[in-house]
Amino acid sequence: MAPQQKQNMSPDIELNLALAVVASSAAPLLLLDGDLTLVAVSDSFCRAFEIDPGSVPGRSLRELGSGEWNIPQLHSMMKATASGFAKIEGYEIDLRRDGKEPRRLVLNAQKLSYGNEGSVRLLLSIADVTEARIAEKLKDEMLKEKAILLQELQHRVANSLQIIASVLMQSARNVQSEETRTHLVDAHQRVMSVAALQKHLATSKPGDVELRPYFTALCDSIGASMIRDHNQLSLDVTVDDSVTSADVSVSLGLIVTELVINALKHAFPADRSGGRIKVGYQSKGADWKLSVTDNGVGMSAGAPAAKPGLGTGIIEALTRQLGALVEVGDAKPGTAVSIVHTGIAQIANPVRSRAAV
Amino acid sequence: MEKAVVLVVEDEALIRISAVHMVEDAGFMAVDACDADEAIAILERRKDIWAVFSDIIMGSTKAGLKLAKVVRNRWPPIHLILTSGLNAPDKSEFPANGRFIAKPYTAEHVVTVLHELFASKPAPYRLKSDPGRNYGRVARW
Repeated sequence: MAPQQKQNMSPDIELNLALAVVASSAAPLLLLDGDLTLVAVSDSFCRAFEIDPGSVPGRSLRELGSGEWNIPQLHSMMKATASGFAKIEGYEIDLRRDGKEPRRLVLNAQKLSYGNEGSVRLLLSIADVTEARIAEKLKDEMLKEKAILLQELQHRVANSLQIIASVLMQSARNVQSEETRTHLVDAHQRVMSVAALQKHLATSKPGDVELRPYFTALCDSIGASMIRDHNQLSLDVTVDDSVTSADVSVSLGLIVTELVINALKHAFPADRSGGRIKVGYQSKGADWKLSVTDNGVGMSAGAPAAKPGLGTGIIEALTRQLGALVEVGDAKPGTAVSIVHTGIAQIANPVRSRAAV
Repeated sequence: MEKAVVLVVEDEALIRISAVHMVEDAGFMAVDACDADEAIAILERRKDIWAVFSDIIMGSTKAGLKLAKVVRNRWPPIHLILTSGLNAPDKSEFPANGRFIAKPYTAEHVVTVLHELFASKPAPYRLKSDPGRNYGRVARW
């Protein structure tokens, strides 16, 4: 069958078969002898580099086309390949032709071993990577541009938040009413809390917020602007290695802000010395607990509960949004407020909790 | 010449006004500039400026860093505070003994940093309003 047929094949037919294989190669391919005279070229080569197929046989590589293949380095490397000293692998050259943009080519060449030591044959394959390189460069440029745009955006967001925070502080300086001033200072702190998160998000991987460094930065920011004497009152953060989505971290951060503002305002009405506020967060699977505990005067001993303020509204809305519950307890002394989420609660009313907000 | 003068450089008007107030509340005198060129012109004209508090990005370039370099070369003793909404620049780009404040900043942060800088190297003249802070010591740099 197949071996028998081969035996019957005359050397001429074998040669024709080899030439036909080269000619039909989809990738530009050249078959040359040891003197770099062309034995066969693929149709794809002629098409890609505008060579008349009829002009090819018997010509040397130097004479191909209008001499654009007369590239000294290529010749010396092909000669070295023919003598078996070298092998061309992924060698890059620029093909320059009159009136045309240069093409970047990647060359591979090897000496063929086919049982006829007398006559040397070289196979040279050519890949035109001009477009691919342009696309790569474009991609690099686009990535760079994207990074610049992101920086620009981050810069603008920070500036905008600075403007809002500045205007609120200016207003707080200028109002007469102590109550209004307090509201403006609180609003300023809320803006700074959003800013702390924004800053944290800009440096973390998308969709991946580590809560410990975030809460630490947040409480530093609250402490810096709302605690005058750090010797008297401490604000500590105890958070495990939990990671949440950006959305959830925004809500958690705003809840922490409100609870801490609340504790600062109500837990230590007379004397802050020895005052301590602890922010904690622990999670296990879908269950988590956020807590803000103070060692102040406690709920009953504090000022008679005024009507729930903006802070309470914010805490309730965000807690609902997270599918969690607010628990207020006695820390003896002081108050412990926990936002508790269990996997079951989340499944029980996800639609209602979203609709409520 | 009673108070140490701080030059505030910021291209965003509202932030500039607020930064000036923060500096004044900290017990300093503030002058302001809206870009690096104006800042340099002021530094050439006035010899009583002892700190520059500048935004890094002004008019879409990092003009604040260039300004900081000029200040370090021409007026080395001046305290430098740089601010940006972006992360702090690399150490190689940052002026020696300069301080970085992230935007948005609070008055408390700005005041703290100013006080720390002037506590380490006070302005070389006596301050009038100096409630216990003692910046008035004669500098020895």
